Amino acid sequence: MTTIKVRVSRFNPKVDSAAHYQTYEVPFEPRMTVMDVLDYIYENIDPSIAYHSHTSCHRRVCTRCNVTVNNKPGLSCHTEVTGDITIEPLPRFRVIRDLVVRGL
Amino acid sequence: MLETPSTDVLVIGSGGAGLRAAIEASDLGASTTIISNGVAGKSGATMLAGADVTLDGAGAAKIRLPGNEEDSKENFLHDIIVQGYYLNNQRLVEAYVRDAPARTKELIDWGVKYTWDGKRALLTQGIELNRVLTEQTRKRNITLINDVYVTDLLTQGNTIVGAVGVDVNLGEVQAFKAKSIVVATGGWQRAYYFTSAPGGMTGAMHGAALRAGASLVNMEMVTFCPNVILWPPPLRGDIFPYILIEMFGDLLEKHGRPFLRDEYDPSIYRIATTTEWNKLIFSLACTRVVMRGDGSPRGGTYYSIKTVPSNIIEEAEKLYPGWRWLRTDFSPLVEWLKAGNAVEVAPAAHYMEGGILVDEHAASTLKGLYAAGECSGGLFGANRVASAITQILVQGAIAGKTAAEFSKNKEARGPNKKQLNEIETRLLSPFGNKGRVRAPGLKKRVKEIADHYLWVLRNGKGLKAAISMLEGIRSRDIPHLSIETTARAYNKEWIDTIEVESTVQVLLASARSALYRTESRGVHNRSDYPLTDNNTWLREIVTRAVKGKLTLSTRTLTITKLKPPKGKFSFEDGIIRAVKELGE
Repeated sequence: MTTIKVRVSRFNPKVDSAAHYQTYEVPFEPRMTVMDVLDYIYENIDPSIAYHSHTSCHRRVCTRCNVTVNNKPGLSCHTEVTGDITIEPLPRFRVIRDLVVRGL
Repeated sequence: MLETPSTDVLVIGSGGAGLRAAIEASDLGASTTIISNGVAGKSGATMLAGADVTLDGAGAAKIRLPGNEEDSKENFLHDIIVQGYYLNNQRLVEAYVRDAPARTKELIDWGVKYTWDGKRALLTQGIELNRVLTEQTRKRNITLINDVYVTDLLTQGNTIVGAVGVDVNLGEVQAFKAKSIVVATGGWQRAYYFTSAPGGMTGAMHGAALRAGASLVNMEMVTFCPNVILWPPPLRGDIFPYILIEMFGDLLEKHGRPFLRDEYDPSIYRIATTTEWNKLIFSLACTRVVMRGDGSPRGGTYYSIKTVPSNIIEEAEKLYPGWRWLRTDFSPLVEWLKAGNAVEVAPAAHYMEGGILVDEHAASTLKGLYAAGECSGGLFGANRVASAITQILVQGAIAGKTAAEFSKNKEARGPNKKQLNEIETRLLSPFGNKGRVRAPGLKKRVKEIADHYLWVLRNGKGLKAAISMLEGIRSRDIPHLSIETTARAYNKEWIDTIEVESTVQVLLASARSALYRTESRGVHNRSDYPLTDNNTWLREIVTRAVKGKLTLSTRTLTITKLKPPKGKFSFEDGIIRAVKELGE
């Protein structure tokens, strides 16, 4: 089975002074999305990872799942993954935790 | 626990029903607060709606839309009840057809962008509705609270005094005092894995209403939207092929045969492809194909436009320029289909006819508790064809008015400290638990039960199995849910824990109701009871929680205008009969 390396920015403003990266190995499925990757990590590897999904539309309409993928902004429900990736919060937004930011 | 100042009317939910309720309550002088588990305009089902607003032709003509003046409210009411297999609460339908023109007119006055279909529908989009309604909300002195997941209702006796929720960003339990509450939180489609509905629609308030002593009705009634994309993942859950099949194309089983055309009466085929009965007919036909082993590898069927001449497709593109719809560019999909490929599609949980039991004033059985829109039950009986957007606007305004009037000259009552503490303890207990059960896995298991046993075609054996599994989860797993993540801010495990509890409760109510109803009616189809039985089952099923145990009973139909016919009919005969009655 092919796997990809997923670097995720982790930050809890209550306890951390700065963000750090954590790398996860995730099984690759053709045409999987960033949201699929995050769901896989949450469900199978690390339930402490924070990314917006509790009211996500999964249909590119609500735009609340917006993150930075390989230095480019993109909706995690719609951005396809083709290889190793780095996922960070949107720049210039105050981070609530990990990839969840205020004001989206 | 943070306690907030008291408000006259507390609206829970920020979709169309919640926003419209808040506008009405505020205009009647009530201090009004909206709590959303997301953000107004960016959460709830309204944003994904197609969306049309339906009203009778004569009513349309009166508000200067070119409608057919020979149409009437009575005709519209008749159609909604026939479409609902006569299970509708007719007082709710009367309110719907009575207020639809006024609600439509005010939308136009507020500047909604629309087109008129020439008959009974004003066509717009959910995003546009949200734009107009949030703009109206901002013009008023309405407090908006975002990202607070309300989990419980506070009561003194059988009167509502407030609500409790979790601020998901702060990770804090909060209490809200209110003289009255309007629940407008939509359906519970997210209890299913495969659904066209956004996150957050998990039945949290259905569960809270039950625990507070209110009743649910028609919980066995679930509409599925056929032709929803199963694959590829970026388009999963999208209903675009459902829009396309209204214009052209075929559903194929695994041998490439168009099963609806081959296997059904020509009149059924015509109804399925030209009217909004398509949801019901296609969903059942697809499920039958999959169950006999003729489905696609991912458990659906195929949608194809291979036989459609290219100039017909080009003509249709004028309706969706560049094949853009709901902020998505579907042209790669359309090109891929034009090249002769077929996309895998399946029915998805889409709309809930059942919900919190209300009367025509949106009042539940608890004092001070009102429900509007999809979270309420009874309006559409066993099958919805008319617009749910009209439902949210009409019922939202009614609920806002009733709640504002109820709150007038009333003193706010403080919440019962004991109840408040019990709720807080329950919400926080998974943090201290060293139990073996984790929410992500449990949520998955519960959704699998829903998708397997509470799908389009049910049977007694499967429903009993589902009930026993769900009861097991409720008694053995939920008390041992534990949260590994210590950070409270945006704790997904905590959110899932909250959701899975209510999900199990609504699924139990739905499965028990589905088992109770020993017939098929509208969207509720049972392979072991395939006939619609008007001699026995013109009754609503009501669910209550008595000392934590679900108790079911039946209720005589509310009939004011249209008397149902007697007899028993098959699915096909029922539809052919209905279509004759509708004169289509």
